[in-house]
Amino acid sequence: MEQFFTKSEHVQNIIKGFNLTKTLFVSSIIIGEENIGKKLLVRHLFPNARVVSGDDQEAVVAALSEYDELIITDFEKLSNQESLNLDNKRIIATANYIGNKQTIDNLFAFIYTLPSLKERLEDTAHIKALYIKEACDNLMIDMDEMSTQDIPVNLTQNSKSLKSTIYKYLMTHSMNKKDIQEAVHSYILKELHGNNGYKEHLSLYEKPLIEAGLQKFGSQLQLSQILGINRNTLRKKIHEHGID
Amino acid sequence: MNTESINFQSFLDWDNSPFILFSSLGKILYLNNSAEILFGYVSKQELYDLALAYAPQNFGYKTTTLSLNYDSFTFYAITIGYENEEQISIRFYNAPRIRSTTPIEKDKLVTTDINLLLEANIALFRTKNPNHLQLLTDHDIPAFKIDQNNFSKLLRKTLDSFRASDSINITLKLLTGEHVIISGKKKAIVQLSIEANGRYSDADEEVKSIAMQCHIAHLLKERTIKLEIPLIT
Repeated sequence: MEQFFTKSEHVQNIIKGFNLTKTLFVSSIIIGEENIGKKLLVRHLFPNARVVSGDDQEAVVAALSEYDELIITDFEKLSNQESLNLDNKRIIATANYIGNKQTIDNLFAFIYTLPSLKERLEDTAHIKALYIKEACDNLMIDMDEMSTQDIPVNLTQNSKSLKSTIYKYLMTHSMNKKDIQEAVHSYILKELHGNNGYKEHLSLYEKPLIEAGLQKFGSQLQLSQILGINRNTLRKKIHEHGID
Repeated sequence: MNTESINFQSFLDWDNSPFILFSSLGKILYLNNSAEILFGYVSKQELYDLALAYAPQNFGYKTTTLSLNYDSFTFYAITIGYENEEQISIRFYNAPRIRSTTPIEKDKLVTTDINLLLEANIALFRTKNPNHLQLLTDHDIPAFKIDQNNFSKLLRKTLDSFRASDSINITLKLLTGEHVIISGKKKAIVQLSIEANGRYSDADEEVKSIAMQCHIAHLLKERTIKLEIPLIT
């Protein structure tokens, strides 16, 4: 059974509602933004139920006539919602948004709204920790060398952006010199053309060098000494790369 | 016809219309079974005042058509009568209950523990209204036949009208001594009562319509909704 973790009281009430009606023939729908765990939640609650996607209208109609217990994902994609008969069945649907409010209201007995991750910060910390562990395992990175606090939490696309930001962060922060050279190599191979290539791509090296140097040493004077270049040259380059 | 030897009291006792006999001081001298239930919802003083207000000017009987409403009781007329200075009687005329024309769809009825549906709906409701809610329920109510999906919709819409309410009290109980006739058979009644400091009435028509479909008598007031659910077994 897939695990679903939550500390949110709102979500716990949804789970309670489902658990109470698990054996009854009622139709329920969970509505909420993309990538917030709707499908994971229903699969966790109804591990033996047949799952069919609203992407495939014919499959939904066929499954409805065959099964008394059915999970319909992406319900908003069904264009024949009004003609569906969900009576006397255990239907659990998920949808990213409500298309026709009246139709949803007529079809479903229980209409739950699952809050986005932004509204469930207590859950986000747990999900972030899970993703970090998963990413470390997959990328074979030793997390002990890094601080999880520094990994940014990007919830613009809920778990999708959260996960992708974690993977990107861990990859970029665990690269060695050779990895970076390989990455630059691959990039240059794709992007190098025209007649001013050297100058155009110098920023790949100079910009992060100056930005990181300023962050590390604070003053331009000190950085110019560390880099072994003239202070005026450094100031010119800061201006050229638009560094604050 | 000589009827003097006939004791009419039991006819009156079992009359479905409430009948009360007051003394001149407003003390109850007699009341029938139906009036006994009525007193669960209205005070003695209020009914005595009503009797005095609509009493005929002289000895005799006077029927007045008016619309009276006490909880789920609705009356369309009252008769007040007195033959001496000592006693005054009041009789209420029950307004006919609107009968649902929808036949019961027996294949949709599944034996259900009503508490499950109620608690699941309360869990759903709590996701929308964090205010304090008190539930008083009778777990001894036997499982009975319910159209689970439709009844859940009715509960959702009913509770939804309290979405911004405070101090919500929900009571589920078996109404003792009251019955409803469905398809010619007497059924006990389970009453769900929800009361708060106020409520929305935007979905009242839908609540009424689904209640009718489910053969559930409904009473919608400014701060209360009561549903009388037939206990079909």
